[in-house]
Amino acid sequence: MPVKVLIVEDNPVARSFLCRVVRESFSDTIVITEAGDLETARRQIGPVSDAPPSNDPFKLILVDLELPDGNGMELLAELSRYPATKIVTTLYSDDDHLFPALQCGADGYLLKEDRFEVLVEELQKIVRGQPPLSPAIARRLLTHFRGGAPDSGPTPLGAGFLSSRPMALGRGAPLDHERLTPRESEVLTYLSKGFTIKEIANLMGIKWFTVNDHIKSIYKKLNVSSRAEAAVLASKQGLV
Amino acid sequence: MALDAPLRPMAGSAGLPDRRAPGENFRDSVFSDRSLDGSASMSRWMGWRLRLLVAFALIGCVGLLLLARELAAPLHIDASWRADARGHVELVASPEPLLRPHIGKQLVQLGGQPLDALALQRSSRWLTDDAERVHHRDLHERLFAAVQHENVTLRFSDGSAVELQPHQRGFVGLPVMFWALCGLALVLYLVAMVVALAKPSSRNLIYAVMALCQAGNLLLIAVESTVDFGLPPPLPRLDMPARMAFDLLTAAAMVNAVCLHPRRLPGAGLIALGAWAVAAILSVLAALGLLAAVWWWAQGGMIVMGLLSIALLSWSYRIEPHPFAVVLRRFGIVTLVTLVLLTAAVALSADLTGASYATISATGSLAWYVFLASLLLLVPFMSRSQQVMREFSLLAAISTVATSLDLLFVAVFSLGQFASLTLSLFVSLGVYSGARQWILNQLLGSSMLTTERMFEQLYRIAREVEAHPERTPALLAQLLRDLFEPMEVSLSERQSSLTRVAGDGSTLLVPVPALSGDKATSRGSITIRFAHRGRRLFTHDDARLTDRIVEQLRRAVAFDKAVEQGRSEERMRLAQDLHDDIGARLLTLMYKAQSPEMEEYVRHTLQDLKTLTRGLAAPSHRLSHAAAEWKADLTQRLAAAHVALGWSCNFYDDLLLTVVQWSALTRVLRELVSNAIAHAQAQRVDIEFTLAADQLQLTVSDNGNGRNPRAWSHGLGLGGVRKRVKQLGGAVEWREVAPRGISCRVTIHDWSARA
Repeated sequence: MPVKVLIVEDNPVARSFLCRVVRESFSDTIVITEAGDLETARRQIGPVSDAPPSNDPFKLILVDLELPDGNGMELLAELSRYPATKIVTTLYSDDDHLFPALQCGADGYLLKEDRFEVLVEELQKIVRGQPPLSPAIARRLLTHFRGGAPDSGPTPLGAGFLSSRPMALGRGAPLDHERLTPRESEVLTYLSKGFTIKEIANLMGIKWFTVNDHIKSIYKKLNVSSRAEAAVLASKQGLV
Repeated sequence: MALDAPLRPMAGSAGLPDRRAPGENFRDSVFSDRSLDGSASMSRWMGWRLRLLVAFALIGCVGLLLLARELAAPLHIDASWRADARGHVELVASPEPLLRPHIGKQLVQLGGQPLDALALQRSSRWLTDDAERVHHRDLHERLFAAVQHENVTLRFSDGSAVELQPHQRGFVGLPVMFWALCGLALVLYLVAMVVALAKPSSRNLIYAVMALCQAGNLLLIAVESTVDFGLPPPLPRLDMPARMAFDLLTAAAMVNAVCLHPRRLPGAGLIALGAWAVAAILSVLAALGLLAAVWWWAQGGMIVMGLLSIALLSWSYRIEPHPFAVVLRRFGIVTLVTLVLLTAAVALSADLTGASYATISATGSLAWYVFLASLLLLVPFMSRSQQVMREFSLLAAISTVATSLDLLFVAVFSLGQFASLTLSLFVSLGVYSGARQWILNQLLGSSMLTTERMFEQLYRIAREVEAHPERTPALLAQLLRDLFEPMEVSLSERQSSLTRVAGDGSTLLVPVPALSGDKATSRGSITIRFAHRGRRLFTHDDARLTDRIVEQLRRAVAFDKAVEQGRSEERMRLAQDLHDDIGARLLTLMYKAQSPEMEEYVRHTLQDLKTLTRGLAAPSHRLSHAAAEWKADLTQRLAAAHVALGWSCNFYDDLLLTVVQWSALTRVLRELVSNAIAHAQAQRVDIEFTLAADQLQLTVSDNGNGRNPRAWSHGLGLGGVRKRVKQLGGAVEWREVAPRGISCRVTIHDWSARA
């Protein structure tokens, strides 16, 4: 059975380039659906419900952030329960753009200007469960989990790993699913200082795939905590 | 008479608290106590005080009307007279047809009573000779009695006689001078009442005594101005003792006032008591007729007490440099000098007969009293308006000098009245126009900040306030210090809503404004005391000026902020546009590139564009964050090219990099690493970054096959590196390393100075 892939990208040249990357990355038979805007993408995906999706769903979805009829993050948020690997493809490499996308449930990101081989490797890694984590995003994550409060707007200067932001009042201790384990914090701290996964493994005396597991777990927690936050926010505003 | 106008200043200038011990430095607590007292008691006390004040005003007006009615009643001959040079009384003009033919003749007898020039001298206060005063009294009593008949015979020097029927004046017949002086006396009386009622402290009562005494003096002069021949009965006997008592009591009150104000002097009680005793004893002795040479005693007493007051004020200023002491002393000196001049003129002209003597003693003394009365009127309003005070004091001083000079010319040089008046007017006008600017400068303080410097300071402070909002009070205090040159500047926690003058103009309280927008925080206020090193009073003009300056400062800060925000928004927009438009095109171009070199070139350009836009969007980058990103980025790139990375980064201080520094370093690193990958085909790149002792050192070494760097053609890449390093003020050099490879070293001295 072929693997279904959805590529949402408005630039046709970039779209075909990404198609090549996807085909190069996997040995399976691949059926690629292309969409130039959110509208087409939604039509292709069909209704999203809590029930198990229709048979033969997309296994991999690549979403560009800047689309003619909206931001790719909208689609990511809608697909939060869709059982596909969702990857953001973008030209923006800064945390101000990427972090919200990760919060919306992206499983990783690809930078469009990277070379073909690099992109293939990165894509394979994400699908294998080794998502990238840049120092800036690691810093944002640390702030996010330390502060406990919804992280909105750019991180204030100096609020990185040295942050000592007090807990928001009126909010008890964060729930388990939104708290990082000491190991995860350690990994994030090293990442924020620019260490590679191998270096971190050496420093912490663990295997590199263990470091990777931590990163995956952090991704998951970010996703879950973001969704929990959204729920809390929504119930506060009387939306639910 | 505006009742509300004087009441407000009085509440403020009602004197310092009497309980202040010598040497005790009164502070904000005293102001606040007083201002709180003031506002709390205002409503409670205002009611009966206003009612009492209205009652006093009514009494004054009714009394004045009764007096006018009384003066309108006696019989009177409608004619104007003057004393000629030989001491005779000459008829100048008259509406009576019977008298018309006799204009220019000398009157020798009135109703059978002989008369001389002394009959025209209304008051005996300024007669130097006791015998003359007795004669004056008798003459006036006789003449008054002589006129109060159905028919009065006037006999002139040429033997002709006219029989006239004197008639009552009526209200209309009272001279303008009478009403003017009565009006002034009434105003003075009311101000005295307002001051006394606003705060019945000893200090204000003393002021009231002075004002009332001078009101009495003015009233007596007014009454005397209505009669030609013969004062009505109680006056001839009452005049001298009453006026002498008024003068001496005023002088004693003055001594007492300067003992207590602006600060209480050591031994104030004794000095004041002595002054009051001297005044009382002299007045009583004069009233009983036991004093010989009464005029000399009176003048001597006044002058001595005036000198004493000035000495006490100087002493007070040395103990505490309250500017009020300086101002009072200035006024005191002017008053005293004119008094001495007047006394000298009168004494010198005593030998002369007729016109000049009469002119000097009547006009001169009148001018002096009016001057003194106006001065007294001014004192409570001293800190209201610098402008009014300045102009008034100048005019008063100059006109008094003119009058005194006029009198002196008449007395000493025996000039004609017209000639001397003209001469003195010219002299004083010359003095006025010549000295006005100088005097104004003296009063203003010549070292006031110029407008230019003021603006410069304002904008400098605005910028500093924006950068460090917490330093607002200190910066504002500095500005005020330059503006007013106070002797003391202090910050207090107290809140006040607007700038105000306290402590009789010695102190200005300026609330610290919330310049940077956060209105909630309390910032206290700045207290500055003793303007212009204690030589100038703060006025309400100064308070308003301060308010305006603070407002300007607020606007400047807001403006700077708006500009900064506008710039940052503009930069963001620019960055966004560049990134979205040019970035997308470059991406397309990169995908369509014909050769790997072209693709790499465009990728490089795209990365540069991204660095540029990030630099535009973020104003600064922390070194630790930048270093982490450099490392992550380079690791990824080198790993893709299967090149090993040796990374070492040392810095002691996690500085903030400016956009220029950040983007220059980012691009230099990227370029050098690209070279190592693309041209040198290295297997390993070592990067050492060190920032210590304000010196940055960046070394990028590879083990590739590059050789002889001097022979390299510096294309776009290496040229870019040189340009960036030069931009940062540093130097770059390439050299070969053993056994193979190239090392590039970037050195930048004085790192922080280049920021």
